[in-house]
Amino acid sequence: MRESAGLEQIVVIDDDYAMRLSCLQALSKLGLHVETCEDGAKGLNSVARLKPDLVLVDLKMPGISGMEVISRIHEIDPIIVIIVITGYATIGTAVDAMKAGAYDFLPKPFKPDELRMIVGRSLQHRRLLLESRRLEMERELLKRRFITFVSHQLKTPLTAIHQYLDVLRNLGDTVEVRAKSNEWLDRCLKRTKEMREIVDDWLTLSRMEGGMLSRQRVKVDLKPIVLNVLKTYREMEEANDVTLVPQLPGDSCLVRGDHNCLSVLFDNLIANAIKYNKPGGQVTVSAEMGDGEVVIAVHDTGVGIPREHKDYLFDEFFRVRGQGHTATTGTGLGLPICKRIVRESGGTIEVESEVGVGSTFRVRLPAYNAQDTNENQKGDPGDFGAEDDIDH
Amino acid sequence: MKTRKATQVTLGPRTILIIDDDVDFVEATSVPLEKRGYHVVKAYDGREGLRLAKIAPPDLVIMDIMMGERTEGFFTVQEMRQTTELRSVPIFVVSSLYSRIEEFKVAPEREWLAHDEFFPKPVDTEKLLKSIDRRLSDDH
Ligand SMILES: Nc1ncnc2c1ncn2[C@@H]1O[C@H](COP(=O)(O)OP(=O)(O)O)[C@@H](O)[C@H]1O
Ligand SMILES: [Mg+2]
Repeated sequence: MRESAGLEQIVVIDDDYAMRLSCLQALSKLGLHVETCEDGAKGLNSVARLKPDLVLVDLKMPGISGMEVISRIHEIDPIIVIIVITGYATIGTAVDAMKAGAYDFLPKPFKPDELRMIVGRSLQHRRLLLESRRLEMERELLKRRFITFVSHQLKTPLTAIHQYLDVLRNLGDTVEVRAKSNEWLDRCLKRTKEMREIVDDWLTLSRMEGGMLSRQRVKVDLKPIVLNVLKTYREMEEANDVTLVPQLPGDSCLVRGDHNCLSVLFDNLIANAIKYNKPGGQVTVSAEMGDGEVVIAVHDTGVGIPREHKDYLFDEFFRVRGQGHTATTGTGLGLPICKRIVRESGGTIEVESEVGVGSTFRVRLPAYNAQDTNENQKGDPGDFGAEDDIDH
Repeated sequence: MKTRKATQVTLGPRTILIIDDDVDFVEATSVPLEKRGYHVVKAYDGREGLRLAKIAPPDLVIMDIMMGERTEGFFTVQEMRQTTELRSVPIFVVSSLYSRIEEFKVAPEREWLAHDEFFPKPVDTEKLLKSIDRRLSDDH
């Protein structure tokens, strides 16, 4: 059990008393919590109890062998980092130990500094393992919740369609059915569309999760993208009552990004601006060049968003309940998709809204700059050994 | 019960109240019920359903337990059971959350969900009609 968060724990398993003592002394100086054990059995007990970050194992001990200890530790927890101490520094035994899962080895005799150096490096490695495990778990949890939620979302329209079909079949060819069947078929089609939208959004989101859409960043002009989306919606009957107005600059709006992603982004924002609008309302999409950025605002004269809901808009599946919102169908995945695209493109998105007046979703994207041909890749943390702060 | 006797004598159509926020379910279910000769009253949320039930107690209620608010149906059932005129009105609960009755573990004796019958959604129209016929003829 952790005595305090952040204090890293080390178990030293060695039958040599002098060795245990010097490890304890050398490592305590680093501010680490150290526990020592004189054989494999006791060592494994400590490991099971403490779930330490790192274990130093002597390979040659009476009782359970060092190699056995290594594999048993990893049965307890595969991401505990193990360093083996080899009495006779034959490369062979060290390599065997590494094959068995040890992270590094330390040939005896060694100086305290050498020990601290290796331990410091191994703890770096451990931190990376912990971080990736945490991310992995988060992803897993989200995925599981996601599947449950999407299933329920699909089940609702599916159930409605089934219900109509069941009744149509049950009533057979009767007056009632003849009066209703067209209307009901229309409803079924509408609900099928709803299901298709859910699946589409789901696919978009999961494709982006894999980073597929957003990895290539090339020179993209936002103008034709926005105009194209507006054109599509103008042709659709849903937008009949709403006027779509582009307010774009004369020349191009260049950003660095992925063409498909940016289309999806503006498609979602404009679709919302139409969907949550009022009859006779207006949607304005404006763009302007800012300081090294392009600012695109999708403004509508729609129902607006209550202040208390603003913080949740970009959460998966969130939909506002209430006037002008619940009458529409939707997946609650549009804005989460937008948020991800904007983030992956190195930009930001914010919303201003007033209930009954309208909303503005404002996207800022880094402007394309011919000079920075190589986009700034984040440095690769590759070499853990570079850190040299173990002497603190 | 007095009111029941009265309806029996007048032999007017029996009233069924459907409460569900899914317009499609209400629509699809009301047509075969009407064809069967029942008078159907529709409500699209728990509060509205309760209001209508109190004004004119129906002979039977069909209600989804999960509407806009996740617990809406549960509370509506509870409240109906606490209302004298509605206490003995049969409530048929429907839900797409549970597809098998065994999963629907809400003990009726705990009065938490004192429903009379449960139907998984999509509801088998024929079964539903049969159950309603049976239930409403028990009174005769
Ligand atoms: N332009 C807008 N005006 C008013 N409300 C909006 C607007 N855009 C989004 N919303 C609200 O935010 C919610 C989440 O949006 P979104 O993630 O696109 O999901 P969906 O549109 O599928 O419901 C919507 O359900 C709606 O209530
Ligand atoms: Mg949307």
